[in-house]
Amino acid sequence: MSLTPGQLRAEAEAAAAGLPTLLLSAERLAAALVMGAHGQRRAGTGEDFWQYRPASSGDAVRSIDWRRSARTDAQYVRDREAQQAQSAVLWVSAGQGMDFSGGPDRPTKLNRARLLALALGLALLNAGDRVALAGQPPRLGRTQGDRIAEDLLRHAVQPGDDDPLPVGTLRPGQRMIVLDDFLGDPAPVVAMLEQAAAMGVRGALLQVLDPDEEAFPYQGAVLFRSGSGAATHDTRDAGGLRAAYLARLKDRRAHLTRAADQAGWHFGTHDTAAAPGQALMWLWSVLEG
Amino acid sequence: MLLLGPLGFATPWILSALVTLPVIWLILRAMPPSPKLVRFPGTRLLKGLTDPHPVARHTPWWLLLLRVLAIAALILGFAGPVWKPAADQGLGGPVLIVMDAGWAAAPDWAERQTRALRALDRAGSAGQPAALLLADGRAGGQLPFLPATELPARLRAATPVSWQSQYPEDLDEALAAAPETGLQVLWLSDGLDHPGRAELLAALEARGQVSVIPPLRGRASLELVSGDHPALRLRTTDAGEPPVVRAVGPDPLGIERELARLTPGEPATEAGITTRTIPIDLPSELRNRITRFEIMGEPSAGAVVLADDRVRRRKVALVGDDRVSEGQRLLSPLYYLRRALSPTTDLVEGSLADVLQAAPDVVIMTDQLVPGDEHGLDAWVQEGGLLVRFAGPRMGADEKLGTEPLLPVRLRAGGRDVGGALSWGDPRGISAFATDGLFAGLTPPADATVRAQLLAEPSPELASATIAKLSDGTPLVTRAAEGEGQIVLFHTTANAEWSNLPISGLFVQMLDRLVQSARTQELTLDAESAEQPFWTPRLVLDGFGRAGGPGDLSPVAAVDFAKGPHPGAPAGLYEASERRAALNAGGPIALADWPGATVESATTAPGLSLRGWLIALAALLLAADALGSAFLARGRGGRVAA
Repeated sequence: MSLTPGQLRAEAEAAAAGLPTLLLSAERLAAALVMGAHGQRRAGTGEDFWQYRPASSGDAVRSIDWRRSARTDAQYVRDREAQQAQSAVLWVSAGQGMDFSGGPDRPTKLNRARLLALALGLALLNAGDRVALAGQPPRLGRTQGDRIAEDLLRHAVQPGDDDPLPVGTLRPGQRMIVLDDFLGDPAPVVAMLEQAAAMGVRGALLQVLDPDEEAFPYQGAVLFRSGSGAATHDTRDAGGLRAAYLARLKDRRAHLTRAADQAGWHFGTHDTAAAPGQALMWLWSVLEG
Repeated sequence: MLLLGPLGFATPWILSALVTLPVIWLILRAMPPSPKLVRFPGTRLLKGLTDPHPVARHTPWWLLLLRVLAIAALILGFAGPVWKPAADQGLGGPVLIVMDAGWAAAPDWAERQTRALRALDRAGSAGQPAALLLADGRAGGQLPFLPATELPARLRAATPVSWQSQYPEDLDEALAAAPETGLQVLWLSDGLDHPGRAELLAALEARGQVSVIPPLRGRASLELVSGDHPALRLRTTDAGEPPVVRAVGPDPLGIERELARLTPGEPATEAGITTRTIPIDLPSELRNRITRFEIMGEPSAGAVVLADDRVRRRKVALVGDDRVSEGQRLLSPLYYLRRALSPTTDLVEGSLADVLQAAPDVVIMTDQLVPGDEHGLDAWVQEGGLLVRFAGPRMGADEKLGTEPLLPVRLRAGGRDVGGALSWGDPRGISAFATDGLFAGLTPPADATVRAQLLAEPSPELASATIAKLSDGTPLVTRAAEGEGQIVLFHTTANAEWSNLPISGLFVQMLDRLVQSARTQELTLDAESAEQPFWTPRLVLDGFGRAGGPGDLSPVAAVDFAKGPHPGAPAGLYEASERRAALNAGGPIALADWPGATVESATTAPGLSLRGWLIALAALLLAADALGSAFLARGRGGRVAA
């Protein structure tokens, strides 16, 4: 899609209008998380003390810790724990199905997913990780948070119902967090998980759902229509379909959980009526653990 | 017609559609409600699911009731319900429809036709024979009674005529085919009395029952009152606000249009007829252009007055010696008269005997004595003509001037010169006109002078005969009555030889006053006018007052012409050589009374038709149904929007 500079600027301004609020709420969420560096439990370059060891022949003179060496006759070198910045890649699906809210008191699933992704991204940045949206190079630093927020908003609602992870965005050694409703065809997701397992990529899937999608509170004659209109379902008795729908939803979750477990990933769910911090804590814990 | 108490149905078989109502009820009830549209991302999870036990939601009962009521109202409405329908004509008897077809029936002719057609329709469905008596005075002989189905075509083709309704002369012959008793008569009257109406009513009442349907609205007629100051007489049958009377004629571009609206005078009501006199008080130039007067909104020949010679411009005959015209036009007295009179009058020129044939209103003679008496000028003046004479040198030099007839005053031979080369004094001016005389209000210009004049013999009558005089008191214009008419003498010439009066504007104004004072010639419509025994139609009105060509109408003998409009001579404009006369339909009118007959009130006669109300009710119910459905849909749509 080609945009004229005028349109681009207008869209950018519209997107930027939502940015401060998104950043603020994400920062508030991120501040609640416990900070921790990813220590490698071995000596290397880093900030924290790891051990004193006797200096050997290869050590430079200036690396000797003279204060420790003065207590004995041997020379000691002060080792620091090796610290390595990890890189994490976020993906928020922006299909038509995500742009849905069952009630005026709830945000759309997409907005909630963006909030969670940005909050997680800020927390990871604070922890010293490289973070980016899928398709962008992961970077360090405070300004990367702003860039992630911009990228999140720039990735507008797509015309189709699904918005799967772009092919080829997986890199070895990365951590991957995918936020989606996972109501579409599960096969691409399972394929992605298998590929990730082969490349050693770990991560988490978070299914963001609206309470209406979890409870199915419909009655009577209803013509259901997906966001893009690609799928419709006409029923005379929506109430009678609830049990079947809930069973299918449960099956889908079980299927995804199984696939995630096999790939070493984690599968979680989030309800837009619930507080976002809960889901954030879960994401943090599975990433740290 | 099916009668259920006070309710009648024109087409009762449509009521059989009412049996379908329960079926419609069931169909409407079983109809599923329209599904509400819900946007739901989880739709893909629903794919392939079937309804476990479909629940048919019922349409709400009140919506169902609305729909069924609307359909019932439609069925009832199309069945043609009539509240308290008019009593049908009795069964079995032959039906006679009398339709007044004169001009007075024209304004609501279509309604009359409809009413008569309805009666014929009923008679046809009842198998009764029927006859149609069109009272236009054209049908004669025995009135045939036919199956009622053969008459509507004739009825539809009938149009009103431009004379008043006329009934058969010989009632016994006309009603020979009618039964002696049991005749059902429907008389569509135009509300006015006509000759022979009472006799016909009596004859019909002797044979059966007569129902009379009077017209819905009042009637109006317009008549021209000829005379010196022609006026219109407006007669109406209702005493309310008078209708608008307008004068129509070509405008300066020749386009036919309304020229003026006339103001009716005070009403005078007598025997139900309100009469108003409308003076035709218009400038002569405007009045000369008028071709017709008509009552606005009254499409009837009786509401139209065609303008003829009685309204139009005066006809002025110029008699004089015109031989000098070849070389010296400006010396001819007739030149000045022509220039002064031609804008406002019709000029006729020729010898005295010739112009009198054209029945002029005014004859102007310049500078000559009356040549003998065989042409009848004397008689013409006695009957009301206006003779205007101008003096001149030849007249003054004639030795027979002392015995000349047809002069207002005796003249002294020779005349006098003032202000000439061989006389003392200056040319005389014209003194101011008497404030109560013919020329009152005109102002003589100071530079209008008279150098020579013919002098009158002094006599006691001279002062009273003088209507304009010079500054020294000698007469300039004298006037005297002669029988019905009058004679006017200008004591000076009509050219600039003796006076410069003819080249002043005053001359035109004086002549205008004189011509306007002339009596218009009564149209002699008497049978004795031997020289013009036939009038040729030029323009004929139909019953609605619309003008048309005469078609193949033959000329009308003067005897018949005098009888007014009738089948052989419809209202219109007729010509006989130079004279134009109009036959106008409007005239005195009188209200008809109907002793012994049933007069149907025009409003309640056909009963109150409920069809329109029922269909309107159905439309209202359907609209309510649409609103109700929309309300329901809105209630369901609430969740979609969320």
